[in-house]
Amino acid sequence: MNKIAYIDNKAFEIKEGETMLSFIRRYKEKNLVPTLCDAPNLDPFGSCRVCSVEVALEANGSVKTMASCHTPVTEGQYIYTSTEAVKALRKNIVELVLTDHPLDCLTCEVNGNCELQTVAAQVGIRDVRYPEGDNHLYRMKDLSHPYMTSDLSKCINCYRCVRACDEVQGEFILSMSGRGFDSKIIKGLDDSFMDSDCVSCGACSQACPTSAISDVFQSKAIQATDTTRTICTYCGVGCNLEVSTSNGEILSIQAPYDAEVNQGHTCLKGRYAFKFYDHPERLNSPMIKRNGEFEKVTWDEVYDYIANKLTGFKEEFGPDSMAGISSSRCTNEENYLMQKFYRAVINTNNIDGCARVCHSPTALGMQRTYGTGAATNSIDDLKDTNCIMVIGANPTDAHPVTGAKLKQFAMKSDNVSIVLDPRRTELARYATHHIALRPGTNVAVLNMMMYYIVSEGLVDETFIENRTEGFEDFKKELLSIDLDHIEQISGVTRDEVRAAAMAYATAPNAMSFHGLGVTEHSQGTFTVMQIADLALMTGNIGRRGVGVNPLRGQNNVQGSADMGVQPHQGAGYLDVTNDEVNKKYNEFYGVEVPKHIGYKIPEMFDAALEGKLKSIWIIGEDVVQTDPNTQKVIKALEATDLVIVQELFMTETAKYADVILPGASFLEKSGTFTNGERRVQAVRQVVEPIPGTKPDGQIIVDIMNRMGYNQPDYTPDGMLEEISQIVPFFAGIKWERLGINGLQWPVAADGTDTKILHTTEFKRGKGKFEFNAWEETVELTEHAKDYPYILTTNRELEHYNCGAMTRRTANEQILQDDYLMIHPNDAKTHLINDGEYVCLESPRGKVDVKARITDEVKQGILSTTFHFPEIMINNITGDVHDSEAMCPEYKVVAVRIRKSKGKYKKELV
Amino acid sequence: MSDNLSELLGRKGLKDNLFDKLGKLAKPEGTPNNEAMAKLADEFLIGKANTFGTASFYDFLKPENKGKKVYVCNGTACVCAGTQEKVINSLKSKFDAEEIGHMTCLGRCHENSAFHYDGKNYSGDAISNLNSIIDSDSNLNQDTYNIKASGKQILTAPFSNITDYYQPFLEALQKDSADVLEEIKTSNVRGRGGAGFPMGLKLQFCRNVENETKFIICNADEGDPGAYSDRYLLEHQPHSVLFGMLISGYVTHAKYGILYIRAEYPEAVKIVQDAIDELKTNNLIGENINSSDFSFDFKIIQAQGSYICGEETALINSIEGQRPEVRVRPPFPAQKGLFNKPTTVNNVETLAALHYIISNGGEAWKAIGTERSSGTKLVSLDSFFNNPGMYEVEMGTPLSYVINELGGGFKSDVKAVQIGGPLGGLVPVSKIEDLTVDFESFSKNGFLLGHASVVSVPSDYPIMKFIEHLFDFAAYESCGKCFPCRLGTKRGQELAEKALTSDYKIDKKLFTDLLTTLEQGSLCAHGGGIPLPVRNALQYFDDELRQYFN
Repeated sequence: MNKIAYIDNKAFEIKEGETMLSFIRRYKEKNLVPTLCDAPNLDPFGSCRVCSVEVALEANGSVKTMASCHTPVTEGQYIYTSTEAVKALRKNIVELVLTDHPLDCLTCEVNGNCELQTVAAQVGIRDVRYPEGDNHLYRMKDLSHPYMTSDLSKCINCYRCVRACDEVQGEFILSMSGRGFDSKIIKGLDDSFMDSDCVSCGACSQACPTSAISDVFQSKAIQATDTTRTICTYCGVGCNLEVSTSNGEILSIQAPYDAEVNQGHTCLKGRYAFKFYDHPERLNSPMIKRNGEFEKVTWDEVYDYIANKLTGFKEEFGPDSMAGISSSRCTNEENYLMQKFYRAVINTNNIDGCARVCHSPTALGMQRTYGTGAATNSIDDLKDTNCIMVIGANPTDAHPVTGAKLKQFAMKSDNVSIVLDPRRTELARYATHHIALRPGTNVAVLNMMMYYIVSEGLVDETFIENRTEGFEDFKKELLSIDLDHIEQISGVTRDEVRAAAMAYATAPNAMSFHGLGVTEHSQGTFTVMQIADLALMTGNIGRRGVGVNPLRGQNNVQGSADMGVQPHQGAGYLDVTNDEVNKKYNEFYGVEVPKHIGYKIPEMFDAALEGKLKSIWIIGEDVVQTDPNTQKVIKALEATDLVIVQELFMTETAKYADVILPGASFLEKSGTFTNGERRVQAVRQVVEPIPGTKPDGQIIVDIMNRMGYNQPDYTPDGMLEEISQIVPFFAGIKWERLGINGLQWPVAADGTDTKILHTTEFKRGKGKFEFNAWEETVELTEHAKDYPYILTTNRELEHYNCGAMTRRTANEQILQDDYLMIHPNDAKTHLINDGEYVCLESPRGKVDVKARITDEVKQGILSTTFHFPEIMINNITGDVHDSEAMCPEYKVVAVRIRKSKGKYKKELV
Repeated sequence: MSDNLSELLGRKGLKDNLFDKLGKLAKPEGTPNNEAMAKLADEFLIGKANTFGTASFYDFLKPENKGKKVYVCNGTACVCAGTQEKVINSLKSKFDAEEIGHMTCLGRCHENSAFHYDGKNYSGDAISNLNSIIDSDSNLNQDTYNIKASGKQILTAPFSNITDYYQPFLEALQKDSADVLEEIKTSNVRGRGGAGFPMGLKLQFCRNVENETKFIICNADEGDPGAYSDRYLLEHQPHSVLFGMLISGYVTHAKYGILYIRAEYPEAVKIVQDAIDELKTNNLIGENINSSDFSFDFKIIQAQGSYICGEETALINSIEGQRPEVRVRPPFPAQKGLFNKPTTVNNVETLAALHYIISNGGEAWKAIGTERSSGTKLVSLDSFFNNPGMYEVEMGTPLSYVINELGGGFKSDVKAVQIGGPLGGLVPVSKIEDLTVDFESFSKNGFLLGHASVVSVPSDYPIMKFIEHLFDFAAYESCGKCFPCRLGTKRGQELAEKALTSDYKIDKKLFTDLLTTLEQGSLCAHGGGIPLPVRNALQYFDDELRQYFN
């Protein structure tokens, strides 16, 4: 029997535990019961009382006034939403609010989109009867911050900003101070936004019902004539954005509440860092370098130039003299086209992407163990897990929206959180277990974890029996590891590791998340396989709330690999050396595709240095600034006859180009991005590409046609139609099916998508255990003696990769340069003070970086970023790569340090 | 209220308590400094805004308290007695004006002229000995008042000795805790803090929630100006309170007892701590008490000056170190209380009743008083009475008996008494005859028994001024969370002040709209309660008030 309650004497079915307000709103129009303090993504709070209703136990019985937002509805209740008494109550409350609120609506930035204004109109306020009394209209605006603004004279004390900062972002920058009538929103110790520790996510601004907290883009103003829903370009989380425009100009960005990925939240990059798109430095014409100078040319000219050159190279040196690097910032369709161009038009498998330098070991390692190189579950599974293990990832900086969710999880005392990271990251501060291992010892420590899970008898024997293979051999080798040695090299004790292992293994549901701290090592692929093994041995795979979930870096790094931007696998991860596969490709592309594996990115540079590479076409990737060993990369580009760079800005790499193709930003084109949970989402063009530029996909199509391959013009629906015919797991993906929240692959022909992989069997049949022993990286065995410090690299919240986009936004005012984290004792040894330059020297070279003294890193460990070309940290990173996937070892660089004389700081040279 | 903050602040348990630490940090200068608050925020992982936000809420932590050395009581009884101007003037001979602060009710209502200096309270004639108070470690902080039971003597019964007194507790430990709870339910003892909720049920709710960690909180934040019965129990009968908490712990399976004692009662903190130490010495607390499986320990948290902390969810937030803003219910504290764990909050006097109930059985308590209001009740009388002091009466005793016989009548002309604190009803002297001391009689007549403190309003004290004082108090002590209370109490005070000080006439409709808004709209009984005495005033003192209204 379903339970019912009554709304204005009509019976409706109730849901267990729901509030009266959500009960009413499920059946009636949203504003039948007005509210001020309620918000879609916040817990009920009960401060405004405007949502009050009258409640009786029988029809028209004696009533009690209750706030509907936080009172659960119970069976048989009669709720009266609009009696004279509640209408009067609401009006009288709003009247009180207006006694302390400026009545300057006409000049207010949220005029027409102010919840107070709407509610006041709805309850019918015509005058404020109270005589003028004390008020807070004198409060000054806070305009200190490049994005966030506050005008607390407009504040109605609904706490929505405070709650958003706490419940959504988990940052606790905002609170209330004082009490009663004089209570006031504060940032930090009553600081300005700029002086506070605010991470500028804008959750407070979006939550604020008035303009008390807002942003410089006035994102709640209603000047916009259009809004477009699209997907963020800044990381693999894949936040949905709602972009407001007027006359083709972007005004502001908000996060839609109905987005499954980000539920009304996003970070400062997604919300505020969009002004790069029409920055004066945008490349706005194709250019050809002649006599060392770039000359602007027409599209026709540049296409002819490229087509002639490439045709010539093909004839003279063969297809393998050419290579392409596609971009994970581009759409699936563009990545598909780029690999198709190289395979079907040039006839080489020399196509690779930036996944090489980030998550190639993830794709490879997970393929080896499970058969599929992608996240097994979804971020939403956090709601059903008991334990998270975060390895080599700093999601609060690099994947802020997922990071915020993980932090929310870690704050709850009934949950277990394990962080394996050399640095005390934000998440590590809140974690139950923080294993601060020495960089380069992941394999050793994870083996130790598995050792304890096995030796303590915590394995899931049924799962191992039914769904895996190779366990017995694996176990034998595992149990023979040398625990003393591992303690010694990793710098963590067996007790801490054992405790973490037990926590992971005994949790009913445990999820793992990993980042580049796992992959960017000489044993990166092996580490990924260990993480996959951990899930196998504890049966944490194939259901909700568990799994292995790589945090993909760039917005479409999953998609670029899915689309075949890899030298060994074509579109849909099909093996290029397999004749059956090639038959399919040949038929589909209408040409013979090559059968031998092509160059990975590092191999491209090696080939160039050997004179074997005549041309390279790089889209949206600044290899000079971000790939390791900068000087080598530069030499390789210099050794290549034709370097084509398709970019938004004159990046460090673009400077070495022979031909520049001005591409379009994510705001200027349509297509799809696939986020880290295999979710293919629609990217919708917000504005036309700035004059002189074209969508990257169209540029590729144009060149394909120019070279004699008939490829229709770039349209997202047309491209998806083509892709769905060749990529098996895209079978049911059609542009019009993507809707607002996309589809998670594999998508069956009928459109059914997949939230959880490996529920009954693995792609490869059984999950495979493979033991790998820890080996010290060559970087240290060769250089540690002379270069005793270990430098590792990290990311900062404010900047994205090479910073080409974020440095051209106001993010640059929030974080102005790269800096080096150094332990206080090390700083003391070298007489380095906070903010002074440190000279970092590796066997490759030297750079100077500003010191930030902190115990976030252990003694002997240093960490820095490479967001700024002024520093070019990759001058010192090395050539060691993952043994399997060739991902560079950014995370372990042998260095020595001294206080800088300023010699190696570029701007001082 | 923040779930996250409750979780984070609970991580360090009770030993390392943020609120405690803020109190200690404020000692030297009157407010904790910013660096210290930033460090605490880092230590507890809660953000600087939260340590600052918490500190700024409390009278004795907020930045404005910096440099305050002496505090003058401005509770209702002292205000009505009109003694405080003289106290302030005397203090000015020794202190700068900015060194003099206020405390709202030191519980010296029986003799007034109360002030606080250096961790001690003084009242009565003490102000005339200011020199010796400042110069020496004086014991002029002692006060004496009448203590008497008119019927059955329970709460005021002389303390025997620790062994005999705790014998019933040790015997209870031998019984099934469910049976012990049954006795409490049988007694029908109702909460003495004001709401009158049956204590047995409250304990049962908490008992029924499964959790390894549970808390018993004693609400000793007796903020009602005019009330000093909790102060009496804490200072004179501390073991009755501790006994009640031990039994509550036993029946709910809670292991921790917290006494939240107001800053304005410094002497009580010391006395209760001594009593706890005594229990420890006698092995009556700790692990496996008397080889039972029951373990229990106490902690005192000293409040920092905020009336709203008497509201149980605000009190829970306060102990956690959050801003003491009222939480929404449900979830009730029994489900999700201190640090999000099941918690029972009981008033001092309610807890003190348990010794009799456990020793003599629930029926014995139930036999005292009226059908629905069982047992005895403490009534505190202020200095307008000929015999001010603390009286224990059986529920159902005529109020006139308390006032005229026990209190000996008024020293001077009184036109009304406010019973049950600032949110209690304003009883005109003509209505005294109609009332008996029990929940039902008061509520039937449109008043509130509350904590049964009696504050007299002298005949020459203007009722409009009294209304203004009530609104002022309510506005000053409003937590500020809900709109009606935050704004309404302030506007009420302004309307009254304007009417008193100018020819402004209050619109009667506006005024009743305001009262209704407060009553129906407020989140808790603070904003919801203030209209009661104001409505009583409008009803019974219409002649006097008519001039102020349109």
